[in-house]
Amino acid sequence: MRKAGTPVSETLAAVRAETTKLRGIRGTQLSLLLFAVVSILIAALDGWSAKNALESDNPSLRSDFTPEQAGLDGILYGQLALIVFGVLVVTSEYTSGMMRVSLLAVPRRGRLYAAKMSVTALAAVAVSVPVTVLGYLVTQAALGSHGSSLGASGVPRALAGAVVYLTLMCLFAAGIAAIARNAVVPLAVLLPMVLAGTHILSLIGATREMARYFPDQAGNELLTVHSPHTAFGFTVLLAWTVAAVGWGWVRQRRWDS
Amino acid sequence: MIDVQNLTKRYGQATVVDGLTFTVRPGAVTGFLGPNGAGKSTTMRMMLGLTRPDTGTARIDGRAYVDLTYPLRHVGALLETSAPHRGLTARDHLCWLAQSNRIARGRVGQVLETVGLADAARRRIGTFSLGMGQRLGLAAALLGDPPVLVLDEPVNGLDTEGIRWLRDLLRSMADEGRTVLISSHLMTEMALVADHLIVISRGQLLADTGMSDFIGRHGRSYVRVRTPEPDRLARKLEGGGATVTRVAGGGLDVVGMPAADISRTAAAGGFPLDELSTHAGSLEETFLGVIGEEGRDSRV
Repeated sequence: MRKAGTPVSETLAAVRAETTKLRGIRGTQLSLLLFAVVSILIAALDGWSAKNALESDNPSLRSDFTPEQAGLDGILYGQLALIVFGVLVVTSEYTSGMMRVSLLAVPRRGRLYAAKMSVTALAAVAVSVPVTVLGYLVTQAALGSHGSSLGASGVPRALAGAVVYLTLMCLFAAGIAAIARNAVVPLAVLLPMVLAGTHILSLIGATREMARYFPDQAGNELLTVHSPHTAFGFTVLLAWTVAAVGWGWVRQRRWDS
Repeated sequence: MIDVQNLTKRYGQATVVDGLTFTVRPGAVTGFLGPNGAGKSTTMRMMLGLTRPDTGTARIDGRAYVDLTYPLRHVGALLETSAPHRGLTARDHLCWLAQSNRIARGRVGQVLETVGLADAARRRIGTFSLGMGQRLGLAAALLGDPPVLVLDEPVNGLDTEGIRWLRDLLRSMADEGRTVLISSHLMTEMALVADHLIVISRGQLLADTGMSDFIGRHGRSYVRVRTPEPDRLARKLEGGGATVTRVAGGGLDVVGMPAADISRTAAAGGFPLDELSTHAGSLEETFLGVIGEEGRDSRV
């Protein structure tokens, strides 16, 4: 059992420990569950109401409606819970003095931070993949005869893009939380931003160009079927994520208990 | 073995730890004493790599804490300001600690048993009493079966039975040749458990010595005398150069005259003695005396 410690095996041990922490804390578990439930519920409602609109020739349906894109709407609401997850994973260390216990166990701050961020990303991927695919299928099923298929043109790529988007947004939130060291500020900034803020900015002519560079607006290109700006969106969101996680790391390294 | 060399920590203008140098040796329980704000907790946090010293080093068996491979197997630590997440169960908390340092999973059950929390293993830590939380902290410190223990105020929140259990545990750990450093503000407790003392005040070392040596050198020992005629005997003793304090029940506390001389004086005057006993000063009094002296010196 007692293997000699190499930096790699020490880091892997830290990752395993972070996984156990994550599984043991109810708030983080609950936010992941909420992500799945909200995403799939909205996906179902979305498909069902679109079907009714199509069959009654309701003009309220967006002109650019496609069944493929509708299949990716659920996660746009579900992502709020995933952002909460990213924030809680980090701030759970700061609420009770847990960080000191963690640093006693894993005193190398870079190792602890890397383990925390890796587990956050892994968890985000692990739930995003099934929820994204399932959400898409649920919408198509609800659309009935109007529904499309998983293999339709551009869909596999958009679904993969959605997983990348969700994972990066979750890490971005975790990075912001590491900078703030509390949950209130990140949630007060991130949730309104994703919910409405940047969308409103993108509707106003003067700020439309600026809004493209916000993480969520840029990232949306990733999950837009046949988007011509996928590379741009990915680059911008990645830059935000790297900046947030990097700055969070600087804060963690300087943290003096 | 813990080796602290010239350790200094400043927060703004305040120097909290000021050039501390001492060694904590294996095979003994070393008490870390000092008034509130003396820098004990800061020193302990620097030993454990949580706080960066401005100058100096703290090494555990020759290495800085952050350089230890799987540190929980080398050092078991309990800090006042560290607390596990309230949403975790006791078992989950110890499990992730064990995983992080590749400690055999079986140890989790063992240490829960040792600290008497086996029945509460699946309860969330948020529901624990102060004493149970302290026991869990001790379980975490013991998890890696470490040769070095660093415990900040370990008796906090423990009941009488728990304090006694901890005292026996620390004693047996020291007897096994481990290094045990504990801080406590409870002097009577410290007097019972510590073999060696490190006393600091205002971040500076005041004493680094054995318990009996500390009290012998700095403490005020006195002779307790009981007689049916305390007033007359007191005058006789004072005439012989002793300082006499009256205590309840006709007793006299005599300082500055050995018991043998008191006995002779009493016999010569025909005083019957009901009690004649020599007492070493208490750790508490000695400690307060030393801290007080230091305070006067530094004001000059």
